[in-house]
Formats: sequence, C-alpha cells, structure tokens
Amino acid sequence: MAWERRGDGVYYYKTERQGGRVRKRYIGNGELAHSIAHADETRRRVWAERKAIERAELDEARSLASAGGELYEAVEVLAVAELVASGYHRHKGQWRMRRRD
Amino acid sequence: MIELPEGTRERIHELQELSDKAEDDDQGARQELRRRLAQEAPEVVARCSDSARTYRRLLAKRSSGSSPLVQEAISERARRMALELAGENPTPLEVLLSERVASLWVLVELQEALLAAWYYKAEGASPGFVLQMARLQESSNRRYLGAIKTLAQVQKLQGPSRVQVNIGGNQVNVSR
Repeated sequence: MAWERRGDGVYYYKTERQGGRVRKRYIGNGELAHSIAHADETRRRVWAERKAIERAELDEARSLASAGGELYEAVEVLAVAELVASGYHRHKGQWRMRRRD
Repeated sequence: MIELPEGTRERIHELQELSDKAEDDDQGARQELRRRLAQEAPEVVARCSDSARTYRRLLAKRSSGSSPLVQEAISERARRMALELAGENPTPLEVLLSERVASLWVLVELQEALLAAWYYKAEGASPGFVLQMARLQESSNRRYLGAIKTLAQVQKLQGPSRVQVNIGGNQVNVSR
C-alpha cells in the first residue's frame, strides 16, 4: 500500500494477493482515498505493535524456559550416575539391577 | 540465565562420561564413578541446589506480577511442595530432584497462566504466537513429567536400601 506519483498527481494504490498473485489496486487521490490510506496506516501500526508485544512475550517465555535447561540436564546426569554407581542399568527404558552386583 | 559454575559444569561432564562407560558394563568405570560420587557429589549437588533455588526465585518473581506478597506465596508453596516430595530423611540428591520438580511446576503454571491470559485478551493473539507458546508449554510439561519420573525412580530404587544412622546427634542417610 503506497502513494505513487503518476504524471502530475500522487495516487493511492493498495497491493492485494488474489489467488496466489499479487495485484495492485488503484484507489485514487480524493478525500476517500486519504481516509482509506489513513485507516490502512492505523491497521498496519496496530498490527506491528501487537507483533512487537508478542515477540517480547515469546522471548521472555523462551528465556525463562531455557534458563533452567542446563540445570535440568545436570540434575539428570547426577541422578543417572547415582543409579549406575549403585549397580543399576537401563534395559528398554527400565532400570534394573545388574545380576553380578 | 541460570548458569552453573564452570568447575561444577566440568565435573558433571566428567561424571556423565564415567556414568556412560559404567552403564556399558565397564567395571573400572563403575568403581571410579562410585569413588568420584562419594568424593564430589555433595559439593556438586549443593551447587546445583543453589542454582535451583535461584531459578525458582526468578520464576516466582515473574509469576507474581511485581507483587512481593504473591512472589513470597509462590516461593513458599513451591518450597513446601519440594519438602513434601522429598519425603522423610531425604538424601541431598532427593532434595535436589524434588526442588527440580517444584521449580518446573512453577514454570508450567506460569506458562499456562500466560497462555490463558492471551486467549482471553479482547484483541486476541495471532495463531503463530499461540502455537509457539503452546510448544514451549508442551516442552516444559514434558520436562516436568520427566523430573517427577526420575525422582520416583531414585526414591523407589534407592529408598529401601537407605539406612539412617545417628552420629553425634546428627542424622545421616547412608545409601548402598
């Protein structure tokens, strides 16, 4: 969506996708064209603001979730090491005591 | 970011290597693993416990919406949950495993609340955002269930063999 110079005048065009093709639609340069351009601009701004909020929220959620990642893995290593040291081993996902232990 | 101290990270890496070898039936590695665990586990577990508590405080702060009272309530509830899960006379590892479950419980609850809040927002959230948040929540939920499973396994496999002795007025848990 943009104002484009054609000859002596400036005209508002809307870009639309129709059946997989991008088409430019002429709107004009009158009062109605200005109102439509204003509405489009407002809609774009609101969308961009919402996207920015969502991105920030997602970044924070990701950072909180991954913050404990290393800790989670470390604790898992300690638990497994403790069981292995006690003579257990994993068999098809189940912990079993080794016979000779 | 909650980061373990460099030395602790290295020890855990070495323990993992030994543990993998021991699980492949390397008797020497198992002996060495036992020796290293007896020598180093208390300090490594203590460092991990410190990090777990810091992480839980961070989660409680984010969940509280800047209310110190709510933050304290969440921390206290998670602390009690960890205590209850650890059971009577827990080993330091069981305490750590219980703390991990409690921390992940706070994380899962927080993510659920955030997602629900976005669902009910007047302007709604974009499908892409909801999908990514749901994926994060699913991953945390998987870890949460994994943490519960590991705690249950350690308690089941090591519990009956645990002996409590009193030395100079101190209770000491001795595992086989």
